[in-house]
Amino acid sequence: MEDNERYPELRRRLSPGWWTANRHYTMYMVREWTSLFVALYSLIFIYGLSLWAMDSRADFLNFLKNPAIVGFSLIALVFTMYHAATWFYLLGAIAPVRIGRSRTKPWQALVLNLILLVIISYLAIWLLALR
Amino acid sequence: MSQDIATIRVTRYRPEKDLKPYFQEYKVPYRQDMVVLDALNYIKAEIDGSLTYRWSCRMGVCGSCGANVDGEPKLTCASFLHDFKGRTITVEPIANFPVIKDLVVDMEDFMEKLVKIKPWIIREKETPPEQGEYKQSAQELERYSQFSSCINCMLCYAACPIYGLNEKFLGPAAIALAYRYIEDSRDQGKEVRFPIVHEMEGAWECTLVGECSVVCPKGVDPMLAIQKTKILGATNAIKSLLMPRGGR
Amino acid sequence: MKVETHKIARLHAILWGIFSLGGMIAAFLLPVLIYMTAIAYPFSLWPFSGSRDPSFLVTGHLLGALFIFVTIAGSLYHGIFRFQSALTEVGLLKYRRALEAVGYFIIFVGIIVLAYYLVTWYLNGTIT
Repeated sequence: MEDNERYPELRRRLSPGWWTANRHYTMYMVREWTSLFVALYSLIFIYGLSLWAMDSRADFLNFLKNPAIVGFSLIALVFTMYHAATWFYLLGAIAPVRIGRSRTKPWQALVLNLILLVIISYLAIWLLALR
Repeated sequence: MSQDIATIRVTRYRPEKDLKPYFQEYKVPYRQDMVVLDALNYIKAEIDGSLTYRWSCRMGVCGSCGANVDGEPKLTCASFLHDFKGRTITVEPIANFPVIKDLVVDMEDFMEKLVKIKPWIIREKETPPEQGEYKQSAQELERYSQFSSCINCMLCYAACPIYGLNEKFLGPAAIALAYRYIEDSRDQGKEVRFPIVHEMEGAWECTLVGECSVVCPKGVDPMLAIQKTKILGATNAIKSLLMPRGGR
Repeated sequence: MKVETHKIARLHAILWGIFSLGGMIAAFLLPVLIYMTAIAYPFSLWPFSGSRDPSFLVTGHLLGALFIFVTIAGSLYHGIFRFQSALTEVGLLKYRRALEAVGYFIIFVGIIVLAYYLVTWYLNGTIT
């Protein structure tokens, strides 16, 4: 007991760059930072809607066609898809389904949900633009 | 016939002499079936008796011999030298814990957390043994048996960056163990355990890094336990919102 | 022996539940919204190849308004919640309370403003 007071323990805590230490950590950080693009896209879209509400629909439509907005949106789409893929994989990891004696694997949830995404996207387009 | 040699770089830290830890290299005769623990034992027996580390069963069931080997939390008794690249292997004390000496870390925080979640069956009323055992079906056992495999080796805490950044985090093993008891049909201690795992420093700190489940030598999958705990917490909170007085 | 009191973080549990719902929304609904508004419409691809007009972004299109509200509100909530948490993991843990406050403020204001603009164009086009 006395020795603990005389000889201090070496305390080590993580530095802000901890996530560069291995590939798993780095991929985790990338996954988390996709949220920045999801949030930014939402805020920019709300700004675009304000052009319609305050000015005119034509202003909003021109905003959508603006090359900078299109460029940013495409980047946001890439990160959104990465979010979707990692989200589906996580769903598979945290909610395995029992089929008989075995459990589903995360990659199976990924494939299944990607197919679901395509179906839901088509449904959305059909409901909103084709009817 | 030249002897195959492995170089083991070990962290040395003697607080009465050293201000900072440093690496010391030892040359160890290499055998195909050697594990890191064999190398450490060789060093201690033949080269440098002052090297200090924990070990016990040497077969992966006691959880004593955890270390960061080439940067990854591993049991030294379960890490074959031939699994690592090259013949130089770095052995450091497991991450995120204070170091007492060389490879020995202070486990106090972990031990406190284990006890905190009350890792025993809690009954509203104990029945005497004469009334017979608490029966449990195979399906009921299935719900928690995976999470009962924990050997308290702390590798998951070493792997968890959330714990590394915030010592208050309850941590993977403690939450998985709490979940093991929550899911045990013989246990009636939800009222006691829920407040512990569902406070802010409990399951909510976890952001699904998932490294805990990657390093677990026993396949406990603490990440799964933590997420299921969060889901329990969220459904509970919504229930208490919708049915404030009923629905216990 | 010190007596420990533990408080269930009920509010946080619910906020986390909404975050998870937002994650589903961002994963299943956001991609198609971005596709329609940033690829199909600007480049005149399916389904807007002929008409050259994003037909669901019109006054009176209830489904369009609802779709945008759910998708953008859910994505905004999820994105801000997670980004604020990610910031605490790169060295800003001690500013956690401030980050949470700013985050929830942006979410709250963002969703109210979003609802206001959507109701405006759904009902009568523009404010002015």
